[in-house]
This record gives sequence, structure tokens and C-alpha cells, in this order.
Amino acid sequence: MARIVAAMAATHAPGLTGWFDQAPEADRKMVREGYGELRRRLEAARPDVLLMLSNDHLLNWPINNVPDYTVGIGDEHVGPADWFDEWLALPKYRVKGRPDLARTIVREGAHHGIMFAYLTRLELDDGISVPLHYLTPEMQIPLVPITLNCTVPPIPSSERAYRLGQVLRDIVTTRWPAEERVAVVATGGLSHEPGGPRYLKVDEAFDRWFLACLAEGDHARIVRECTVDRMEAAGSGGTAELLAWIAALPFTVGPAEVLGYAPTFAWRTGTGFAAWPRTI
Amino acid sequence: MGNVERVDRTLPLNQMIFHVRRDADLRRRWREDFEGLAREFGLSAQEVDAVKAADVRRLNDMGVHQYYVSQILRLSFGAAGASNAHPAVEAFRRAYPEHEG
Repeated sequence: MARIVAAMAATHAPGLTGWFDQAPEADRKMVREGYGELRRRLEAARPDVLLMLSNDHLLNWPINNVPDYTVGIGDEHVGPADWFDEWLALPKYRVKGRPDLARTIVREGAHHGIMFAYLTRLELDDGISVPLHYLTPEMQIPLVPITLNCTVPPIPSSERAYRLGQVLRDIVTTRWPAEERVAVVATGGLSHEPGGPRYLKVDEAFDRWFLACLAEGDHARIVRECTVDRMEAAGSGGTAELLAWIAALPFTVGPAEVLGYAPTFAWRTGTGFAAWPRTI
Repeated sequence: MGNVERVDRTLPLNQMIFHVRRDADLRRRWREDFEGLAREFGLSAQEVDAVKAADVRRLNDMGVHQYYVSQILRLSFGAAGASNAHPAVEAFRRAYPEHEG
């Protein structure tokens, strides 16, 4: 059965590639070091597959029909989506998919009470493209992208996101026969409110509280206290991307190491990185 | 819940922007024949006026998803180099001066 060999989480703000130079040098240094350390750990873990948890920025489904969770099952993924070319200032890239694992997740999800939507061609926005740019610039690790709805009410609760992670963990480690090494990367957050009245605000107090909770490592407390309402209060429609981080928790044991944080006004996002030294 | 709770998922503009973002030909029509495109998607006069005025507050108030408000501004002002000095972001600063910083 497959093994989880790494678990980590990172911000994916479009400013990290699109207007990186607009932030103070201290913030840029923190990002270079934070993503650099994650990349080092990822390479050391030698994963065969990257399971990436992110959110869909209203790109893949029209707003009349928004699934909670979507799996990209294609043989190959191409990004960024054309609409994001100028915004992210990234070249087009191609990365292999893993339809065997992706389709197993969709099939087995039904037996675990989760209806996964899926797409053969999942359009990749900043949520996937920015982390891949920093973590695997050679695009050498096959990818299974999974997106969550973090912005169209009703947004799945933190309990449901944690349950999602438990189901994914169980499928990957017990229902998928391959003897392979799987890395889990969660992306999104921290506090931000894209397109809302507080577009130009970052909630540093919330961000530092959330990261401290990760460093404490009490999953039950995180799920209980980091509610969607609390995330929404810290920045509507964006902060709840941290549901992807919560979905990564069941792959981990104990405290996370927080590898950096800055309340970066220039990128209109709380910017942070974490990795879990112990996985299940 | 926060501002996203105000979204009106049935608003035609919320459908239109989804398709425009994914189709280069529709983006060309947005620039060259916005009113014709708006008619095809069934936008109201109020939606058309708010888009043409790039009125961030009105778009949010009428139920456009807040993320799509930022996308509409990108269609109006361009997407490259979207720092806080970009016209698309300046429009938010003007709309909500009470929330800056």
C-alpha cells in the first residue's frame, strides 16, 4: 500500500509570481526561504505522486452548480489556464497526471460518503500553478489535483474538510494497491478577501493564531475553533481556503513546523508556510 | 458569514463572467460589443451600467460574487502587474476607503 512521505502547506497568492517584486525584501526573503525549505523537504521525501489540495477560484464550474470537491483525473495537466497568463506571469507548463489514483479516489469516495466531482481537464489557476512553480519547477512529479469550494456558500465546514482528509488518507493508504510514495501539499490562505470590501486588508492576528494552532498540533481544537465563520471574519471568500490545510491534517501526526509568515499588504494576503515532520 | 454570503447565484452577470474568463472570443466581444454580449446573457440594465462604470461597491451590493468583481475589473483595466497601484485595485480603494490597510 502507498505511504505518505511528506505533508506541507503554503500560500498560493498570485502576487507571489505576478507582482513579487512589489513586496518588501523581508517578505520576499521569507517566501524564498519558506518555499525553498518546502522544496528541499519534498525532494528529500522522493515522492512518486503529489496529492495537491487547493481551492477552485470559480474557474472550473459555473456558479449555478458548484461541487464541494473536484478531482483532476487527466493523464496530463496543463497550466496556467489562459486567463491567468498575464495575472501570474508564468510560462505554460505540463505535468503528468495519475488517473489511476485520481479515479480510485472518485470511485472509492462514493463508498465513504463523498461525492467527488471530477474533470479530465481541470483548469489550473494560481492555487495549483504558484506552488508548482516554487516546489517542482521541472514539473517532474505526477500530480493529482483536488479542489475544494471555499468561496460559494454553503462553504463546507471545517469538520467536513477534516473528514475529507480522513477519507483521502484512507483511500490512498488502504484502497489503492500501488506501493508508492505520496506527498500531500495543501495550498491557500492565509487571511484575505479577494474582491470584497476588505480586499486591501490582512488579518495578522488571525493568521498568527491559526499558525500557532498548527504548531500546537491539536487537530480537534483546530477543527472546533477554526470554523468557517471565524475564517470568514478574518477575510471573506479567501481565508476559508485554509480548509485545504485542515484537510491535510489527517495525513499528519502532531505539531507542524511553521516555516515563515508575513502579513503582506503588497500581495493582499497573509503569507505563510508549514510542514509536518511526522506523517501517518 | 462574510461578504460572500451576499452573492446572488442566479444573477446573469455571475454566469456571464464564468464563460468570458474561459473563452478568448467572448473576451474580445466583452471589449468590442459588451452590450450585445450582455443581451445574450440576459443582463439587466443595472448590471450593464455597473460593469460599464466599474463600480465595485454597486457590483458587490447587487450580488455579483466578490471574486468575480475583481475579475470584471481585470477585464476593464488589464491583468498584468496587479499591484496595489494597479487601476483595478485602485477602484477598490476608492469604493471602500474605510477598509484600507
